[in-house]
Amino acid sequence: MSRITLMVNGESVTAEVAPRTHLADFLREARLLTGTHLGCEHGVCGACTLLIDRAPARSCIAFAVACDGADVCTIEGLADDPVIVRLRAAFTAEHALQCGYCTPGMLVTARDIVQRLPDADEGRIRVELAGNLCRCTGYAGIVRAIQRVLADGAPAAQPASAPLPVLPALPTLPPTSAIETPRGPEIVQTLRLALPLADVWRAIRDPYLVAECIPGARVIEVVDDRLRGEVRASLGPIETLFSGEGRISFDDAAQRAEIVGDGRDGRTGTRLSARGVVRLKALDAATTGATVTIDYTLRGPLAQFARGAVVQEFAAAIASDFAARLEARLTGKSLPEQRHLPAGALVLRAVWRRLRALLGFG
Amino acid sequence: MKAAAFEHACPASVADAIALLAGEADARVLAGGQSLGPMLNLRLSHPRLLVQVNRLQELTGVAADADAVTIGACVTHAAIADGLTPDIGGGVLARVADGIAYRAIRNRGTIGGNLCHADPAADWATALTALDATMLLQGPDGARSLRACDFIQGAFRTALLPGEIMLAVRVPQLPADARWAYEKACRKPGDFAHAMAFVLLCGGRRRAVIGALGARPLLLEDDDVSLAGATHSLRALSGLDEVQRRMQLVVLSRALAKAQA
Repeated sequence: MSRITLMVNGESVTAEVAPRTHLADFLREARLLTGTHLGCEHGVCGACTLLIDRAPARSCIAFAVACDGADVCTIEGLADDPVIVRLRAAFTAEHALQCGYCTPGMLVTARDIVQRLPDADEGRIRVELAGNLCRCTGYAGIVRAIQRVLADGAPAAQPASAPLPVLPALPTLPPTSAIETPRGPEIVQTLRLALPLADVWRAIRDPYLVAECIPGARVIEVVDDRLRGEVRASLGPIETLFSGEGRISFDDAAQRAEIVGDGRDGRTGTRLSARGVVRLKALDAATTGATVTIDYTLRGPLAQFARGAVVQEFAAAIASDFAARLEARLTGKSLPEQRHLPAGALVLRAVWRRLRALLGFG
Repeated sequence: MKAAAFEHACPASVADAIALLAGEADARVLAGGQSLGPMLNLRLSHPRLLVQVNRLQELTGVAADADAVTIGACVTHAAIADGLTPDIGGGVLARVADGIAYRAIRNRGTIGGNLCHADPAADWATALTALDATMLLQGPDGARSLRACDFIQGAFRTALLPGEIMLAVRVPQLPADARWAYEKACRKPGDFAHAMAFVLLCGGRRRAVIGALGARPLLLEDDDVSLAGATHSLRALSGLDEVQRRMQLVVLSRALAKAQA
């Protein structure tokens, strides 16, 4: 627990909070200020919008502990605010609410529009409202209510924001070059392995060996054509551990392997269904080309961040790691140092899974 | 969802922050928290320690000289949008900042946090690559600086080393003859962009940066700055489907038209 002291609606409050408690939960549960509503809890819907240091902010993604010393004002604290009084009347007159769930956040955002953009037209009002979702009204009444308040005359100008402090002198350093400096994004789906086709195909047919060559992958058991396993992956701040099962098939004549499976990341509840196909082709007597095709469906929290190309890039990074490890394993060299996708980062579990599927043919 | 448990530290100086980061392998820097917050709540990220830096005076100031404007890493997008940071020319930084997410996010989100998080759809990575900004970093082994194109290494990947934090961003002043345009395609204002392009024309040089590729921004220079050049480069990226390529080209063509108008 951490001790924090902050202003809440003009009153100084000192409390012990768990660092993971977000500001909205703190206000609702410890202060019983239930006018702050929680919708999505990840900063998208705007229902929890309130004022932190006089500026609108999402209270679901601000941790209470990070607001130590801040000045917080909720919809309750704005009851007698002159702009809110006018907006409240306009919301009533224009039917700007139905169920009322989005209304506290809408009012805080509307007040900001009225104060900051006294000349806003309908288009600008709609852009400014894009971060507050209303599922009842279709926004027409809300936009009209804000226009009505603006038409009645702008409120007294807000005091200008304080100027930013001057930075202390910083060292002037000529830019150094980063370790890798490719110019554009490169996504590789084809692997070249410095091994004869027969050796690679034998390796691909051994799921345990394949998993050994995928950083973070582990086969739990293989029964006939069913495989159970897990993959741990991280990318930037994301970390995932997908476990699941799949069905493997091999076409010896065509040197084609396929795995179809699905898995779940228990921590986030993200689900991934994926199909990975690997086709091998001898490039010459000592070199094998592997083409990997993956398609997948991702459902749940991770799907918001694992946009297609992100997944592709992650898969490409793992695939090249895999190629290096497989070569080392089959030629008896020690495994290359684990080249981590940025440690401790975002794990695209899905991707992971996908990868796994990839390799997975193994 | 609620974030998994973590410990929180609010160091009093950059030096203390670096020491804290060096002492805990599973630590993340918390600046405005507008990207990390959602990831923590969704439990996509679960570090043991968050080191909060957005109140450090050393990171929240600005400075300007004849060559460049230097913006502290924890200056918010809203402060830049409102013109509280000096202009490098043409109001370009304010224009980019004002298009980031929503006002409630811009009030908390910081330029340094945005760059270090390195979401491929984020605005600063693309804009500052085009403007050839440098990132000033400080770590246990001292300070160094990197050009934006070297700093961003891919989706959610940067050149930051363990224990390193960003101090400031130095953005060169634009020459008087510079013309620029910044365009993006979002399903609604403030949503993650599906395509973005920044075009900068000055002194006979041309530069275009295509972002929101799911990887590092794509930098095109001089003769490559054309729809044909971009078509060729985008074709080499296997992570994009035909619709995504097409969107990128449409957005680039709008930016080219605006910059040349």
